[in-house]
Parts: sequence; structure tokens; C-alpha cells
Amino acid sequence: MYRVDAEKKVHFCDGLSRRDFLHAGALSYMGLTLPGYLQAKAYGAVNEKKEKNCIFLFMVGGPSQLDTFDMKPDAPAEIRGPYRPIRTNSPDIQISEIFPRTARHADKFSIIRSMYHTGTGVHDIGHQMMQTGRQFLNGLEQPHAGCVASYVMGEKNGMPAHVLMPRPIGPTGGNMPHGQTAGFLGKTFDPLVLNADPSLPDFEVPDLLPPEYISAMRLERRQSLRAMVDQSVKQLDENPDARLLDESFQQAYSLMSSETAREAFDINQESEATRDKYGRNKFGQSCLLARRLVERGVRFVTVNMFETVFNEITWDIHGSAPFSPLECYEDLVGPMFDKAYASLLDELQGSGLLEDTMVVAMGEFGRTPKINPAGGRDHWPQAWSTLMAGGGVQGGRVIGATDSIGAYPVDRPVTPAELIATVYHGIGIDLETELPSPGARPVPVVDYGTEPVLELF
Amino acid sequence: MTGSMRWVSLSLLVVLAAVVSAGELLLLPPALELRQQGQEHQLLLGVGEDGHWTGPVTEAIHWATSDGALVTVDEGGKLTAHADGDVTITATVGDQAITRRVTVTGAGAPPVRSFVNDVQPVLYKTGCSTGPCHGAASGKNGFNLSLRGYDHFRDHDVLTRQAKGRRISTVNPADSLFLLKPLGDVPHEGGQRFDADSLDYRILFDWISQGAPGPDPSDAAFERLEIVPGSMELQPGVKQPLLVQAHYGDGTVRDVTRWVKFDTSEDTVAVVDEAGTVTVQKAGSAAITAWYASKVALTELNVPRAEAVAPEVYQVAANHNYIDERIHAKLAQLNIAPAALCDDTTFIRRAFIDTLGILPTPEEVSAFLEDGAADKRAALIDTILSRPEFVDYWTYQWSDLLLISSKNLKDSKELNAFYRFVREAVEENRPWDAFVRDIVTATGNTQQNGAANYFVLHREIPDLTETTSQAFLGMSITCARCHNHPLEKWTQDQYYGFANLFSRVRVKNGKSGGNDVVAASFGDVLHPLRGKPKAPQPLDGDVVVDEPGKDRRDALATWLTAPENPYFTRAIVNRVWKNFMGRGLVEPVDDLRLTNPATNEPLMSALCLDLQEQGYDLKGLMRSIMQSAAYQRAAQAAEGAEPDRIHYSQYIARRLSAEVLLDSYAQVTGVPTAFAGYPTGYRALQLRDSLVASYFLDAFGRPERRQTCSCERTEDASIAQTLHLANGDTLNSKLRDEASFLTHYVAEAVADEVAVEAIFRRAFGRAPTPSEQAACVSALDGVAAEERRGALEDIAWALLTSKEFLYNH
Repeated sequence: MYRVDAEKKVHFCDGLSRRDFLHAGALSYMGLTLPGYLQAKAYGAVNEKKEKNCIFLFMVGGPSQLDTFDMKPDAPAEIRGPYRPIRTNSPDIQISEIFPRTARHADKFSIIRSMYHTGTGVHDIGHQMMQTGRQFLNGLEQPHAGCVASYVMGEKNGMPAHVLMPRPIGPTGGNMPHGQTAGFLGKTFDPLVLNADPSLPDFEVPDLLPPEYISAMRLERRQSLRAMVDQSVKQLDENPDARLLDESFQQAYSLMSSETAREAFDINQESEATRDKYGRNKFGQSCLLARRLVERGVRFVTVNMFETVFNEITWDIHGSAPFSPLECYEDLVGPMFDKAYASLLDELQGSGLLEDTMVVAMGEFGRTPKINPAGGRDHWPQAWSTLMAGGGVQGGRVIGATDSIGAYPVDRPVTPAELIATVYHGIGIDLETELPSPGARPVPVVDYGTEPVLELF
Repeated sequence: MTGSMRWVSLSLLVVLAAVVSAGELLLLPPALELRQQGQEHQLLLGVGEDGHWTGPVTEAIHWATSDGALVTVDEGGKLTAHADGDVTITATVGDQAITRRVTVTGAGAPPVRSFVNDVQPVLYKTGCSTGPCHGAASGKNGFNLSLRGYDHFRDHDVLTRQAKGRRISTVNPADSLFLLKPLGDVPHEGGQRFDADSLDYRILFDWISQGAPGPDPSDAAFERLEIVPGSMELQPGVKQPLLVQAHYGDGTVRDVTRWVKFDTSEDTVAVVDEAGTVTVQKAGSAAITAWYASKVALTELNVPRAEAVAPEVYQVAANHNYIDERIHAKLAQLNIAPAALCDDTTFIRRAFIDTLGILPTPEEVSAFLEDGAADKRAALIDTILSRPEFVDYWTYQWSDLLLISSKNLKDSKELNAFYRFVREAVEENRPWDAFVRDIVTATGNTQQNGAANYFVLHREIPDLTETTSQAFLGMSITCARCHNHPLEKWTQDQYYGFANLFSRVRVKNGKSGGNDVVAASFGDVLHPLRGKPKAPQPLDGDVVVDEPGKDRRDALATWLTAPENPYFTRAIVNRVWKNFMGRGLVEPVDDLRLTNPATNEPLMSALCLDLQEQGYDLKGLMRSIMQSAAYQRAAQAAEGAEPDRIHYSQYIARRLSAEVLLDSYAQVTGVPTAFAGYPTGYRALQLRDSLVASYFLDAFGRPERRQTCSCERTEDASIAQTLHLANGDTLNSKLRDEASFLTHYVAEAVADEVAVEAIFRRAFGRAPTPSEQAACVSALDGVAAEERRGALEDIAWALLTSKEFLYNH
């Protein structure tokens, strides 16, 4: 497997000022890692002026296009479902009545109504495609877009480049990878996984900070002694896994000593009113935390709305246990999304950050146009909708369209690969940037010829 | 970049030209008969030594035929048959020439195109019957072919009868939708697939003109696929075209290269394009595989390192047993020098970790170092293999394999019974074949006979079928559940024959709790396409005839564990080998396929033979491996050599597994880890259940035991791990604990040098070097009494998070 080469280790030139290091002395031996970044810059892979952030809101389970953002009020009852469309603040956009707050921000987002994929209609496949732009089943694991951003753009402000919260997606039935790691780029570019629920009163990020009894002096002593001891096993320096371990240590050191990181994760600094606005639940508070992180230099945040589709109320409305009923869209899931999404757009806009932050709200597939005997809808990868906002994306537009029953795109079909290309385009990654794959052949971030949806910009 | 590449290839050309004049010319295939009018067949001209292929000829080749009316040859060496008779083909390079006699028969009549042997391969290679197109489970736009064309009768029916027969027009073949679509003459979502003057078009056109005949018993039976050359030794940068030949029952041999799907086992060493041209990337070894009409073939490629290694190096290198002989043979092919043997301190630590999952104590290390016996390593191996910790470690490994966890077995009596069954087998070193037989034929109450829980864990027949294959044959046959395996020879029919061996297992509620596993006398699993059962039959074994009172699983167990079964022994050998050597001969360790060969096949065969001769005594196999010089080599390449992580010229260092690392922290600090539901002092490797809560174990890659797959365990580094070591409550708490060994050195106010040496010996099994001693002592120097403990903890922390500790090397 390809691993990061020693040559890619570069020293931070102006890092000291940006990093609130507790002990500058430690830096002397810690060749801080800016993986790929300078190299990528040298090759022109990153357009610094256009460098932007991204927040992925993953509506795990697969929202029904017909009950959310692609309403078909004129279709027969068994197609159009129980919800009615409502007007938004954008003349061209109508969305489901389950999203009254979102409707007030339609000037900030656009809808792609013609997403589709040709893979099997199981969750894992959609998760792979929507996060990596590729389908790899159980083969070579492709990197999540946020991990590509982490590899190509590097970290900023001493913050991890990519944070995944609250937890990774777990089993959804297929036992295949969900595409939420750095895959062949190696664990170094894995997202920092929060593994904690920011809506809980005692929320803190596990292991982020040293325990109180370990003073700054002790931290420095530990690090310098460890570096000294490692001199004796020089032969391990040629071991690619061991090199990665060193890099992980260095990342950990820099993160734990960062005042910015400490503050970024301290959600209690937000007012009660703000916290209420996003919704006092895992997803709502994760969206709020995502905003805090992006404000402080995290480039890419992935928020998983759910971690499974079993025995939990989610977008996966098959209508029968252990899945969810359609009614949960108005009772629980819809409002949960509505509050958080509207608040996030609103606040990003208010702080001016929306211009530099792309917000993608997406599911892994759509749902069958016809309501099934259990009163739900089943998997339907042939058509669904995705919301795009910020980072140069113009609001109030509708891209693509489906047929009269929301079954197939009839205009401007968009694949997951094109969506990922749109994200890269939006955040400033050249689409022809090549990644080091385990083979000798470099792999472009998206397959050659994949075009972004330029109509959004 | 391009400029330097050009320089590289130029210099290679020079080298190769020299080789041509030095080596002999080789012309393949060695014999050739063409049996069809217009039949094409590629000849390959190369250079070799002692008949062994070492590369293509890069100088100008002149091809000539003795009779152009019978056979023509183009400038690339491709033959075309025109009329019956014998010709001689001559290839001339400079002043050397080589000839090949070619016979043509049956060219008098136009070629008869067979649906099975001609049409199906075209449909595959042009993409029609592939997964993204009409080979998808539900087809495309109402046109559905079997994936890669394995179901000839259905596909023929679909082509000739479905869609009201509009796809084929035998009256006016050129108007067939079947031809117009791929020509792009009518709208086709899949675009244009071929031109009207292509061979593919001609084959389909001929077939339709001949009445679009279906599969016919008189079709030549496709028996074997072959890649030519069968093995190669090439240099980096070389481009080598391959020839793929299909052999039929009637003796016909055809060049099918253009319809083959190629792949490489190691694309850092060599890549292969659609047309079958191999491009060598760098030194190493690889297998190039070919798939054609559900059969596979491979050719072995060795790319030696540029620096030659003197033959004496392999003669003087430590050679302890058959393992070393075979490894040295491979290393000599690749110009890799073997590393020196490791020192005794390293050896004892390594052997303890790999076999017992614990560290040797400082006393054990000293005793071993002081032992002057010449065979002390062999003696140590014997001692280790009979220690009680052996049982913990290997029970844990097989519990991973068998997915023992409370997620799968909610009844703790069942879980404990299954664990006990495995533990007893390890304790008595039950032969592996007997162990597996006990599992797959288990009956009775699951609280009594623990092995029977295999059938509680895997209740569904597909799950049983696929897990049995994955766990005991190291093979995934899941693909064949829905269609023929696209990478292997396994067919859907074989899958359902195999699956039917499990169809009479019944799991009932036990009268006294638990479940009763019984063998019923009726019940079959249906083949989904055929709608009726396939006779029970082990994958490539004989049909099992049902007899009253006889359990089908007995036949399964007999086939599984038979010496003729090539997969069973390979699978366990590969797992055990990886445990000790850090890398399976086949990787991933449970992905044995013809198309994924061992990096050293002679070694794999020898290990399998060894295990069989020892009656599947796993300790015996472990002893052979541990006694080899290969296992005892340093984790550092020989002087001046590039590192090698594939061919066992050096020990492959790897991080301690999650469980071993946690246990080692407990052992070194003297502070046991608390596990919910277990008495104090239980080690992680003694846990029966993979769900026992431990953030540490999860972060460091403990397998969840959800799915039988070696991929569940990961030893990659991540920031979550390093943050936990730095800030988490596992290592820090152990160091701070009053019970920690450090307490002694604080309380007793021992001299700094003594304290430092003690920490080094406990962690590394060695004394500190003078500079390490000095650095650590200075960290203690002048530290206030109340700060002394913190300083000692920091020294210990530094050692316990260093690579020397985290790695088995």
C-alpha cells in the first residue's frame, strides 16, 4: 500500500504564530506534517484564492424526493404522498410543508432534483458514491471527499482538516464500507471522528486535551524523551506503518496544544437561544458545532444525521419495523432537519461565512414513487434531490427535473461523481489533481471527464 | 518529467539490445494448428535464457511465410489462415532466425460461429453482458443477459425470442437490432461498441447469417485457458504483449487474447492493459491473470532488482529448514539478499508476542541470554509452545475466526459453551481437520456441545455456505449466490450444490434451554434460477447421495478435510504463516483464488505438505515456521539492500495488536485492566466476548466479529490512537496507579540510574544505552521529591509509546 513518503513531511514555516503552542521547544524535532499541501500548491492543484470549506449534512437513510424537495402534487395519491408543497422565499422553488423554516432560506440554496445512480439500491453503495464519487463495493477503498480535501489542502489554523461527527455510519445492511475514511490515502488523512454527542450536557471530545495532572512541562518532557528513545530503532524509520504512527503522534501533539481547538469544540460558549434554535438533539447540535469548527479553520465537516437505519427513526421509511414510517417525516425527522439546516444557513449568512462555505445536504438515494403496501416507500436510486448552498453556489435555482411521478430524471441528470466534482470545484480543488493510489498509477480526484454542475455557480 | 522518462527508456533499449545478442530467440507457441478460414493467431517472439522468457525482442523483426496463399503473417507477427496445408513461418532478427511450422485444416469452408464459443466472448468484451450494462441483475432497458455470459440457454432465448424476436433478423442480418444498436446506427444508451469492419461485428453477423443457432452439444468443449508465456522474468520499463489461448476438447487451440479480461495481482510491479500488454513498473513479483468465458489463467512475473546479489550470499545465509530453501530460491530470482539473524533479546520478545501475546519478563530475558546452549532458540520454541498463555492467545484467534461474541450469541451459556469448545481444542492441540469437522458436523444442545453454536450464529443457508467457505477454505464465494463468480471458476450451480449440504440442519429451541441442532431427513434449498434444488455437492467434489440416517454434513466434512482438497490446507497454513511472518503468502489472508496466487507457491506447497504430514498438528507447523531462519531474521534489510516487505528476506515489523498492546501495558506497569464482568487480572486475550467494552481495544483495531473477514482487524495508526495514548485514561491511569511498579522507585528513593534501568528492562527487555541512560537520569535530576513520581511516569510513558515498544520487530 502506498504511504506518505518522508519527502512529503515539511516544516511549518509560519506555523508558530498560527499555532498556540504550549512549548515551542518541542517543535524542533517535530517535522510538522502538511501532507501533500505544499506539493499540491506547487502543482497548482489548489487555488488559494478560491479555497473554501465544506459541510456535508448526510441525511442517512435516503429521504424521499416526493415528500421533501421534489413534490408532485398533481400525481395520484399513491404517488404524491401525504404532504403538500409550500411556497418559499424563492419564486421558482416549492418544497414540502415539513420544512417551513427551510422555506424561508430558499434564496440561499439551490436544489438538484435529478440525482441518480446506477448502482444497486442499498444504503452502503449510495454512501460510498455520495462521499467518494465512486463505487468500489469491497474493493480498494476510495477516499471520502473530506479526506481528499485533507490530503490536497492540508490543515489550516492548527485544526484538523476534516472532522466527522457525531459518529461514523454503522451497519445499514450490506456490510460494505461506507466510504467515510481516507481509504487508500491512509489513516493519516482519516477524519477526526468526534465519537461523542454534542447534545449531551457533559459533552466533551474524548482525549482531545491532556488530563489536568499532566502539565505543559510534563508534556514537553514526555515528547522529548519519546523522540530520544526512538533514536534506537532507526530501522523502523523505513517501515511505512511506523512512519504513519509518528505522524499521528505529531498531529495529536499539535491538536492538543491548540487553544483554538479547545474553543472550537466548546459548544457551551453558545447561548441557550442559539442552541435551542438548532434543535436540542444530536443532529442539531452537530450542525451548530460544525459552524464553530468551520469558523476556526476546519476545512471539511461531515455530519451524519443518523448512524444506522435499523430500530431508529430515520429517512429510511419502508413503513414497517425495524425501519421507519412515512409519518416520521412530519413528526420527527423533518423538523429535526428543518431547524438545524435553516439555522446553519442563516448563521453562516449572517457571519459572511456562507460565501466561503459550501453546505451540501444529501441522502444516498431516493424512494419508490409509489407508496408500498406498508404505507412507506422503498429504495430508489434512480432519482432523488440534493440541496446545495454556499461556497459560490447561487441560491434559488432548480437544477434538473424528474418525470411526472419523480421516478427518473428527464432533464440534466446528475451522478454522485458529478456532485463530488461540484464540491471539489466549489472548494478550489483542481479536478485533475492526482492522488497516490496503492498502485503506481495515480488516480484523479474524480474520473477524467467528470464535469461539475456549473449551473449552480 | 517526460524528458527523464525518455532517457530511462532509451537506456533500457540499449540494455535490451545487448540482451538479445546475448540470449537466445524464443518463439511461442511451440506448436500451432489453425482450423478455421480467416482464423487469426498471434506469435510472440522474445529472448530467453535456457528456454525461460526474459523479454520481448525490441529490435526490428522480419516476419515471413513460406506460402502466403495458405497463411499470411503481418508485421506484428499475427497469422491469418487462408487455405489448408503446411507452412513455415520465419522470424528474423539481425542475423538470427527462428521458424515455426504451422498446419491449417478446415479452411475450405467459411467458419461456423458458435453461440457459446464465439458470440458470448464478444458480448462480454464489448461490454454488453457486463455489470454496468445488460449483464446487470435486471438488465438495461428490458434487455437482460447473464453476467459475463454464463447462462447460454437463457441468453440465447433472450436474443432470439424475447422482444418478439426483433433483436435478430436471420433474413436480413444487417437489419438486426442486435447489430444496429452496438454500431450506433440506432440510438443506444451504451453508445457505439464496434465498427462494421471489426472482427467482433463479423462474428455476430456470421452467426446471425447462419441462423443464430443456440448452444449445441456439438460445440467444442472449452477445457482450459492458458497465458503465453507461462512465466517471465522482465526488467522495469519493459512492455511485454501476452498471448492467451483457449484449449478445447477436440484439440483446437485458439488465440482469444482480444476477448480476455486481464488483471494484475500487484500493480506496483506491473500493470496490464485491455489488449494484454504488460508494462513493468519496478522490481518485485506479480501474477498477471486472464479471465475468459468463466475460466481463468495466470502467468508469473519476476522482476529482479537491478543490483545483482552474488550466489554465495544465499549459500552462506542461515538455512534451518525447507522454508529457508524455498525463500532463498525466490530471493535469488529477485536479487534480494536475506537479512542477518536477529539478536536473542529481539528473538525472545518476538516469539513471545507471536505465540503467546505477552512479553517475556526481564528475568526470562536474562535467563535466555545467559543460556549458552547452541540450540537454545529451538529449546525456547518448545517451551513457549507448551505454555498456558498459548491457549489464551490461540483460543482468541480462533474466536475471531468463528465470530464468538454476545452480539451473535445472546445466551451467555451458549457463548461460554462455544468458547469452551474452542479452548479445549487448543488445549489438547486437536488437529485442525478434526476441529473443523467437529464444527461443521456439530449436533446436540448448544449449551452442552459448544461447536453446535456455529449453526445458531449462522442460521441462514447462504450465510452458512459463505461463512464455511470463508473461514475454512479462505475463499469468498458470495458472488456465486446470484451469478457465476466473475473472478473465479465457481458457478452458481456449484454454489447451490454446496449450499444444499446445509439444508437439513435444523435449529430448535432446546428443552432444557439453549438450542438443539439436529440433522433432518428432508429439506432442500432451491436454485433461484432453476426453481429446483441442485443435488448436494461440495464445491468441486462429487455429488452426495442421501442415505437414511446419514447427515449430508459428514460428506461435507470429509471433502473439506480430504488431503486432495487444495483449499483447506492452504487456508489454515496461510493464516498461521501470517501470524508469525507478518504477511500472508496470499494477501488478503482469506482471499485465496487462482487469480490471487501465493507470492511463493513452492513454499506454500511445502508448508501444506508439512502440515498434512504432521496430521494437521498446528503446533508442529508453528514449530517449523519458528525454527526457520526466515522467522529469526532481523527486521532490517541486509547491509545496503532496499527494504523488503513481501518476500521474507527480513522480519516484517508490525504494531502489536490491540489486545496484546493493552495486555503489555498491564504487564509492564503491573496494573491489570478492569473488564466489566471479569475478575481482576483477566487479560484482554482471555476475554470470551468481543463486545466487552473497551475504548482502547476499539481504537486500536479490535475486530468486531460481525463478519468472517480478516479485514475486520486493523493495525493502522490513527490520531484517535495517539490522542488516547497521550491523554486517555488507559496508559496514564496505569502509570499513576499505586499498584504500578513505579511506586517502588518513588517510595524507596532508589538511585536514578537503577530506576531508569528498571524501566528499560521492563519495557524493552534490555538495558538503556549510555545516552538513553544519561537523558533519562537528567530528567530526574534535581526534580523535587513530590515531582519525582511524575518524572518517572514520563520516562515510562516515553518508552511505552515509543516505536520500539509498540512494534513487534
